[in-house]
Amino acid sequence: MSGVDQCPTTHGEKAKVQKPTAAELAAQARELPTLNGKKVWRSLDEWSDSPEFRDHIEKEFPHGAVEMHRAFTSAGTAADSDGSASDSRRDFLKIMGASMALAGVAVIPGCRRPEQKILAYGKNVPEEIIPGKPLYYATTFPRPGGGADGLVVETHEGRPTKIEGNPLHPMNRGRVGIWPLASILSLYDVDRPVEPRYNNPARKNDDKNDPDTRLRATWDDFRAWAKEHFPKHAKSGGDGGEGLAFIVDKKTSPTRDAMKARVLAAYPKAKWVAYDPAEAMGAAEGTRLAFGTPMRELYSFSVEPGKETTKVIVSIDKDFVAGGSDEIANARAFAATRRVMSTKDQMSRLYVVESGLSQTGSQADHRLRLSPSQITAFAVEFAKRVARVGGPDQDAVLAALNKIEVPANHGIDSHFLDECAADVIDAANREKTLIVAGPTQPAEVHAIVAMLNGMLGNIGKSVRYLPMGEDESDASVAKLAGLAADMNAGKVKTLVCVDANPMYAIAGDVNFKDAFEKVPATITLSTSSTETARASTWCLNGTHYLESWGDAVAHDGTISPIQPMIAPLYAPAMSEIEFLALIAGGDFAAKVDGHDLVRETWGNSFAKGNLDKVWRRALHDGVVANSAPAPQSPSLNARSVAEKATGLKIASAASGSIEIAFAVGHAHDGRFGNCSWLHELPQQGTRVVWDNPVLLSPKTAEAMGLLPKSYSVKDSSDMYTKEKYPSGRMVDVTVGGRTVKMAAWILPGMADNTAIVTLGYGRRVCGLVGDGVGFDAYPLLAASNATAGLAAVGSISKLDEWYPISSTQNHWSMENRTSIVRAVDLPAWQKWGDEKGPSGATFYRETEQLPFGERLGELGHTPPNESIYINPKNAGRKEAEAGSTFSKGPQWGMTIDLSTCTGCGACTVACQAENNIPVVGKKEVAKGREMTWIRVDRYYIGDDFNSPDAIYHQPVACVHCENAPCEVVCPVNATVHGDDGLNYMVYNRCIGTRYCANNCPYKVRRYNFFEYGKLQFNGDYMGKDILNDALPERGGVNGSNVHNKLNINLIPPRLREKIAEIERMGKNPNVSVRMRGIMEKCTYCVQRINAAKIEAKLHDMKTADGNAAIPDGMFQVACQQACPSESITFGDILDTKSKVHETRANPRSYKLLNFLNTRPRTSHMVRVSNPNHKLRAVVDDPFHGHGGGHGESHDKSHGEHAFYDRSKRHEDDGYRLSLGVLTSSTNGGRA
Amino acid sequence: MSSIHPDQITADRLASGARVESNVKYDPSTGDGSLVDTPGQRPPLVLNNRSFNDVTEIICGYVEKPQPKWWLPVFLHTFGLAQLTGLFILYLVITGIGTWGLNNQVDWAWDITNFVFWIGIGHAGTLISAILCLLKQKWRTAVNRSAEAMTIFAVICAATFPGIHIGRQWMAWFLPPLPNANAIWPNFQSPLLWDVFAVSTYGTVSALFWFMGMIPDFATLRDRADLRSRKNPSGRFVLPFVPVRVDVLQSKIYGFLALGWRFSSRHWHRYEAAYLILAGISTPLVLSVHSIVSFDFATSILPGWHTTIFPPYFVAGAIFGGFAMVLLLLIPARELYPHMKDFITKRHLENMSKIILATGMIVGFAYAMEFFIAYYSGNEYELGVFLNNRANPNKAPYWWAYWIMISCNVISPQVFWSKAMRTNPAVIFGVCILVTIGMWFERFVIIATSLHRTFLPGEWHMFWPTLVDIGIFAGSFGVFFTLFLLFLKFLPSFPIAELKAVLPQASPHHHPTNSPGQGDHGKGAH
Repeated sequence: MSGVDQCPTTHGEKAKVQKPTAAELAAQARELPTLNGKKVWRSLDEWSDSPEFRDHIEKEFPHGAVEMHRAFTSAGTAADSDGSASDSRRDFLKIMGASMALAGVAVIPGCRRPEQKILAYGKNVPEEIIPGKPLYYATTFPRPGGGADGLVVETHEGRPTKIEGNPLHPMNRGRVGIWPLASILSLYDVDRPVEPRYNNPARKNDDKNDPDTRLRATWDDFRAWAKEHFPKHAKSGGDGGEGLAFIVDKKTSPTRDAMKARVLAAYPKAKWVAYDPAEAMGAAEGTRLAFGTPMRELYSFSVEPGKETTKVIVSIDKDFVAGGSDEIANARAFAATRRVMSTKDQMSRLYVVESGLSQTGSQADHRLRLSPSQITAFAVEFAKRVARVGGPDQDAVLAALNKIEVPANHGIDSHFLDECAADVIDAANREKTLIVAGPTQPAEVHAIVAMLNGMLGNIGKSVRYLPMGEDESDASVAKLAGLAADMNAGKVKTLVCVDANPMYAIAGDVNFKDAFEKVPATITLSTSSTETARASTWCLNGTHYLESWGDAVAHDGTISPIQPMIAPLYAPAMSEIEFLALIAGGDFAAKVDGHDLVRETWGNSFAKGNLDKVWRRALHDGVVANSAPAPQSPSLNARSVAEKATGLKIASAASGSIEIAFAVGHAHDGRFGNCSWLHELPQQGTRVVWDNPVLLSPKTAEAMGLLPKSYSVKDSSDMYTKEKYPSGRMVDVTVGGRTVKMAAWILPGMADNTAIVTLGYGRRVCGLVGDGVGFDAYPLLAASNATAGLAAVGSISKLDEWYPISSTQNHWSMENRTSIVRAVDLPAWQKWGDEKGPSGATFYRETEQLPFGERLGELGHTPPNESIYINPKNAGRKEAEAGSTFSKGPQWGMTIDLSTCTGCGACTVACQAENNIPVVGKKEVAKGREMTWIRVDRYYIGDDFNSPDAIYHQPVACVHCENAPCEVVCPVNATVHGDDGLNYMVYNRCIGTRYCANNCPYKVRRYNFFEYGKLQFNGDYMGKDILNDALPERGGVNGSNVHNKLNINLIPPRLREKIAEIERMGKNPNVSVRMRGIMEKCTYCVQRINAAKIEAKLHDMKTADGNAAIPDGMFQVACQQACPSESITFGDILDTKSKVHETRANPRSYKLLNFLNTRPRTSHMVRVSNPNHKLRAVVDDPFHGHGGGHGESHDKSHGEHAFYDRSKRHEDDGYRLSLGVLTSSTNGGRA
Repeated sequence: MSSIHPDQITADRLASGARVESNVKYDPSTGDGSLVDTPGQRPPLVLNNRSFNDVTEIICGYVEKPQPKWWLPVFLHTFGLAQLTGLFILYLVITGIGTWGLNNQVDWAWDITNFVFWIGIGHAGTLISAILCLLKQKWRTAVNRSAEAMTIFAVICAATFPGIHIGRQWMAWFLPPLPNANAIWPNFQSPLLWDVFAVSTYGTVSALFWFMGMIPDFATLRDRADLRSRKNPSGRFVLPFVPVRVDVLQSKIYGFLALGWRFSSRHWHRYEAAYLILAGISTPLVLSVHSIVSFDFATSILPGWHTTIFPPYFVAGAIFGGFAMVLLLLIPARELYPHMKDFITKRHLENMSKIILATGMIVGFAYAMEFFIAYYSGNEYELGVFLNNRANPNKAPYWWAYWIMISCNVISPQVFWSKAMRTNPAVIFGVCILVTIGMWFERFVIIATSLHRTFLPGEWHMFWPTLVDIGIFAGSFGVFFTLFLLFLKFLPSFPIAELKAVLPQASPHHHPTNSPGQGDHGKGAH
């Protein structure tokens, strides 16, 4: 890396790249075979892998080291064209074997203290940089499929290290979801294309390990080639673009739209597809039906400005808090309707009808599990009931809706339908409701939902609309299917793919692979290794969004700039807009500059006249002020909408078949396939990592004979816990004659007779991390699914094969330990919330009147532990005694609100990024060794685990106990208490006895069983063999074989460090990377606390009484900062004005396992739900009626029957499950 | 007070019986040394009317004569097993603790199980040598040397595990309070640190005690080797190409170990005093070591560990397991070595069986009390551990481990209520094997089943041992047996002088006229 562009506000003046002198170049140059046989000099800048290092190791190991280096760094993509790459792995093993034999025991590298190195600056240090101090720049994350999140990126010495939300961006307001957080990994992805490759069809390569036939080339080679090639498609002298097609990534960007216009101007007949393989066009088509034009929905949850007051929300299979381009805004606004801080606060009620188990579903007060077709029927039946709300069109609408054929035996609980509809049309809730429909539903359902919102008066209040852009409203999957037909017909001569990967992500009924081969010239610009890039004639290295200029439009229409944080790591490279401009320009020798292109676009449109001012301000703020258009509230003719919707067909699954709903997982459409953080982030509901098994409900799985090996009727909530490596049965999933082999996994709470298939896995050419992770489910998708709803009817047949699957949490039940996640119904909170207990726990012979949250737990009836040990920091043994260390600020604390936590996992990924937490891989997770400092525990509640009454999420990180059990047991003082209440972990003192982890009741300590931190994930995951059989075509196509086989500890540390040189650039330099054999855990982001402390001291910040103080909100910890629903608060608990002081003092707060006298600094807040008393019995007295006995207080009558849901039990009456209860009491399960 | 030593009546009767077999009825119940019901009569501690010279010859013969034929093959096997553990430990240190099956929920499993198992086994030796010495139990003389040796070897095995179980083995020196670059003392609140002190003190004192007891016997071996080398200057060489004679080497080595012992009265006087002092020092150690080991668990807040009953229960369990291991070693040894049955009689076996029965009952009581208190405390987590983590086969994944523990430790020793059973070496051997298995499982149950499912069900995880876990554990047996075989080969396996002291001839009331061994006075020792 050199030539760091660090200054966003210098009017785009890029820092000059330091050019080596001619003599230096000559010294560094190597002979490289290229396309045209010429030998070219390559500049220093093109060498990503640090020539100094090569020189260094060549001096030390003149020949072999290069082999080793090559085997590790370039086995994947950068195989040499001279054929030596094929030998390098074998050579490497030979060398290693010999040197190990010679080295003997005396130099066991594992015993050596690894050397620490930092990446030094180049010769030119940019002006603003103060070494050691991070700089923050605003930029934008362009969301896949459209939309954007505003970002502030932390850069250290020119390296972006951490993605944070931009507080000024109206959509995410400082919060970020998992994809932007993890996108930094794709910047430092070692498998990125680093230089252009030319696929010479004439070249033969019989090497099985690396059948790559591509030649290394340069951008100049490409330009020369293009100069000859593109005139064929020119307006004058060519076919005018007839044989030219473009497949680009679907996104919303004014400059990209401008480039599209340029391209189409230059090649008027060219075909243009803005492609999103996982798109669901139901909403666009539905609004087209309803309003005549495709519209983007903008939920506001807010009826009065500034106040989140929506009262009843009905989600028809729409996971509105996750996945969409408005996920962060929705999560925040929805949480605001759920957060009851006082007993007077109002709370929304959420009904969710869904097939899978979404984050939204886990928040539901009433949840109905239905298959996709049942949901369609539900929508119609629901509409019939809601349409009775009145209005001029009522009768006509009802008449139209009655025309839709709903299967008589739709199996939907009519009680639920009636009461849900009654709640929506209740006069008290009028105009304070919101109905939303999701991706599995066809356009008609979306139209009906829009109609209902219109009839209820919600349009303009809780839902508003924005017109969609041209690319965005295109049904691109269908369009691509058309293009593929053209390609097959030989009509396309040149195909340009830009950051699109149709060779992998393509509906199964589109014969794209053959079509692709029929195109004589295919050009792919790609930031990451993809199947399409590998197959293309030209594979060109693109720039990551953190390396390039651009812009993006957010869900609400706000325009924000994308500015580079770092010069392209693999320069020369081109961004999407530069590349399109190059092609459109026709002059392939021209210099294209993304910066100029963006400015030009802006200057031609909204910033006309005052470009410089807008530009400067936008780069600083990260958004273009007031660029969002006013949302529209189009009027709607309910009658005509209902009549248009009569074409709706509800196709239910015939017997023997199963409904299949498609979902987008952590890898999105597959583009995050090489991103290890996302693979290791536990998935919603299952907590499965590194895989995308086909999900089935327990009842369906049992009916199909797909229960796991270790299944036992004795304890059904333990289905997957009793095997060393839990395994799912392999099945053949067939849709429309296309079969995919996948593993089956059970997800309680799913709809019966439904399978969820997650797209985006099973990548074949992706990189060390992502190759072959999971199963490619795209063949099951049909091109028509995008508009007809992401659901299909198929069949599943079981195979006699098992596939190991890792999950971080295989136990499903909370084991009736109701004091872990404390949950009450709203009336109970309203009635008892302000009241302190009549009597409570006796601490040291003093009886304490317990607040609401604590009364719900053990302290109400279990004698608390008392310690004979007097805490030197607080002799008072209870709340901080005056004069004790803990009575002097700041004292740090955290509160996590369980009412609003959706379990999205943003906290986990943010923590991982901030604290350099390593990933450990699938096998290690199966062994229970995941390293995440903050985890989200998931519990199913209820009697019947096929149909759990509720799903709880509970984030748990180190709670920083004041009386920390871990501290007393550490023999070497490696974990000690700070004066500000932090439980410190001293890494270099730790020898790894692991006693602290044993004595931690929260089990939040994480141990480096292997050298996870310094080694990159080595691709060692289970199930690869099975996958190789299932996907024979991927065999060895991209090499992680060496990583799979080699004991990495046997590589000398100095060389080992070099393996991950690029990846290491992304690490946070303020947090040490832990070596193996030591313990780690949440530090409350101590590096941020200390940075704030220093800052406060430098600015002489003081409280009124003259003490040094860090004002509340001066900094945030990483998890708090990311949390989209703002469920985490952190701050000084002694500061009476701080938010955490308020939340901690709230009666809903409780301290987890506080009867142990650990006195945690992190408190959780009681989860409150707002059930409809007509649908289930509402418990308004959680304290009485459980017999009052001590030992007996934990049978089913206590707490959990609050979640006993009559309607769901009713639903299952026709089928008596032979499985035991979910939360069996101590005497075993229910028969 | 009777003027005749009670043992002598029996000895005389046996002596005459042995000499004139046709006339005197041989009493089968006492002929093997086992106890008789007549309170006034006790069988002799050394059978077959051995003279002082016999004792010396037999015991020194174990060292001086070639080992029995089985010795070398057995040794090679155990030594191979010991090598295995070395290789596995090397692999562990190179690669990381992850080669064990541990995880973030079960952070200790076989490592600490094996540690507590071995340290428990190490208890019998010091109990026999110290407490029984102070209580003047003469039967201890026949078994104390080998029991002490076993203690040392068990402590060696035990000490290995805490040493290798830490993540950065090369940093183990952080544990003792050494002045170091970090300028931080260890944490004196941590039971692990107490462990370091307790185990090292115990190991040191046990080794000293063991070594001190051997000094007169080393001197005997030295003198005999010296005499041989003088009588026969052309004796065997150590190895064909090493020009050192075996006898000379032996006399040098044993001479060094004998620390200049000359059998003077003053030496004996000092020896007796020191022996008594060391016995006094060791006695509290027997109780303290395992109490402190139990603090590793008892001071934690983990249900299943956080129990005040642990110290006495662990000590009883340790004696229980330790005696079982002593018997496991001695029963084959007395069968396989010539004349060893004369020293280790059925009376010894019976006494030790009784101790096993008694301590087994204490352990069983402790199991019951733990359970009762878990129920009585009303603490759902506590009861959860005992019921749902351990005992309930429907819920607990490790229920089998718990029930193996109960059947081996509580049920199997009950056979010792029958005299026929507790005098039958085969039965005793079988029970001891079961007890050893049961005691290993006791530690596994305490450690792994408590850890695998603690407070928050969200973090429950199973433990599965890996090859390295198994290899190191199996290898530790290899180390143990290898060391014991070497002990039998090279060291005096019985205290010669002490055994002579319990011979009838040593009694001041002994009538030399009745005994053919009269002439032995004064000549046996040399």
